[in-house]
Amino acid sequence: MRHSFIDRYAGLDSPLHLLEARTKLLAFTGLIVGVLCVPAGQGSLFFVYFFATAILMGVSQVPLAYIVGRTLLILPFIVLAGLAVPWKGYLGLSVLFLRAILCLMLLILLTNTTRFVELLRGLRKLGCPQILVMNLSFLYRYVFVLTEETMRMKQARDCRRVSRARFREEIKLLSSMLGTLLIRSFERAERMHFAMLSRAYEGDLPVVSPRRFSFRDVAFLAGVGLFIYLTFLMG
Amino acid sequence: MTDYAVRITRLNYTYPDGTKALEGIDLDVRCGERIAVVGPSGAGKSTLLLHLNGILPGNGAVRVMGMSMEPSNLRQIRKQVGLLFQDPNDQLFCPTVFEDVAFGPLNLGVAQDEVPRRVEKALLDSGLDYPIRSRSSHHLSLGERRRVSLATVLAMEPAILGMDEPTSNLDPRNRRHLIEVISGLKATLIIATHDLELVLDVCPRTVLMDHGRTWADGETRSMLADSELMERHGLEVPLSLRSGARM
Repeated sequence: MRHSFIDRYAGLDSPLHLLEARTKLLAFTGLIVGVLCVPAGQGSLFFVYFFATAILMGVSQVPLAYIVGRTLLILPFIVLAGLAVPWKGYLGLSVLFLRAILCLMLLILLTNTTRFVELLRGLRKLGCPQILVMNLSFLYRYVFVLTEETMRMKQARDCRRVSRARFREEIKLLSSMLGTLLIRSFERAERMHFAMLSRAYEGDLPVVSPRRFSFRDVAFLAGVGLFIYLTFLMG
Repeated sequence: MTDYAVRITRLNYTYPDGTKALEGIDLDVRCGERIAVVGPSGAGKSTLLLHLNGILPGNGAVRVMGMSMEPSNLRQIRKQVGLLFQDPNDQLFCPTVFEDVAFGPLNLGVAQDEVPRRVEKALLDSGLDYPIRSRSSHHLSLGERRRVSLATVLAMEPAILGMDEPTSNLDPRNRRHLIEVISGLKATLIIATHDLELVLDVCPRTVLMDHGRTWADGETRSMLADSELMERHGLEVPLSLRSGARM
């Protein structure tokens, strides 16, 4: 089975893809912070950011429909979160939405122009704690294994029942399936740990040196930095 | 240097839940030997393998390449003993093949610029092409995953290789390929398996385990042909030996 949940288009080779992971991490973090700092009253600045994001999207060659689709997929969660924020009128709500959409688009763009592995390596090189990066990499590696295990379990269940059970039974079944999955994951984690120990793991793993910064990276970072600085001046 | 790769005397191990997994195991393996550990499921084969590099701490003496199982020796021992796990999904925990194969050498402190060469050699020795290094483990077939798992171990250049069911669930072609790869290895091999044809092909010596004990230890062909012994321990005489006897 083939999956690519997160970095489906990361294999393209647009100018944005060719940049070093650290460059993109810094630039996109900068842009996101910039978006979050736009004052609520400055509607025009949001358009400046939209424009900048649109240019990046154009350069990246990642299909627009994909980015929009992904954004819409995650947006409902933002709406839910928005309900928890104190009510600040329709303006407040629309600003929240604008910010969320921009940040999501930037993040989707980041993960689809950088392979997940590169991203992790970049994080590590930027000083992110190893244990955190390692856990992220396990997440990326095992989300597929877990999905497949769940699907097999679901198939096994469907093979042994003819019709849907009553709601209560259904819930009971679901919870026991979740329990089984949890125990299996727990056992797998133990075996994995054995496998790590067997390969001389002692709690610290050096990283293979990544690509070096090139002139392109420096130029891109400088450009993005200047852009963010200008928006601060305007705001 | 000692002649023995592994010396195990009176090894006992009880799982935390009280299950007795190993009861008084004695086993000597000479350097360069290839031995098979056979026996029914739950006989303690996998548990025994996990004692070879100190993952499980049993009672009794385990010596590897002359070193006793002490915390100060563990690093050296884990460098010498490679373990191939049954489920490649347990063994391949990195996002890409390269990182997985590089994991062991990096932990052993192999120089950064030496690592890619080690990875390449290990992949070639496992019957894989170097370009596979950039693929993700979850996109590989089971046969490929098994071979990559082997590469992750070979990259550490171990003197002793413990394998847990290396051929299980493989289709005939992948199985044959893996057996060829295993036959070409130079390390001391300890293979726990149900695949008795593999045993006949690769291992001149066999140890029969059941209920945490060793019941027989000797020349493979004559042991596997002993139908009474085989049946008593939930095994059967391999087809190739049976038809040979009939002819």
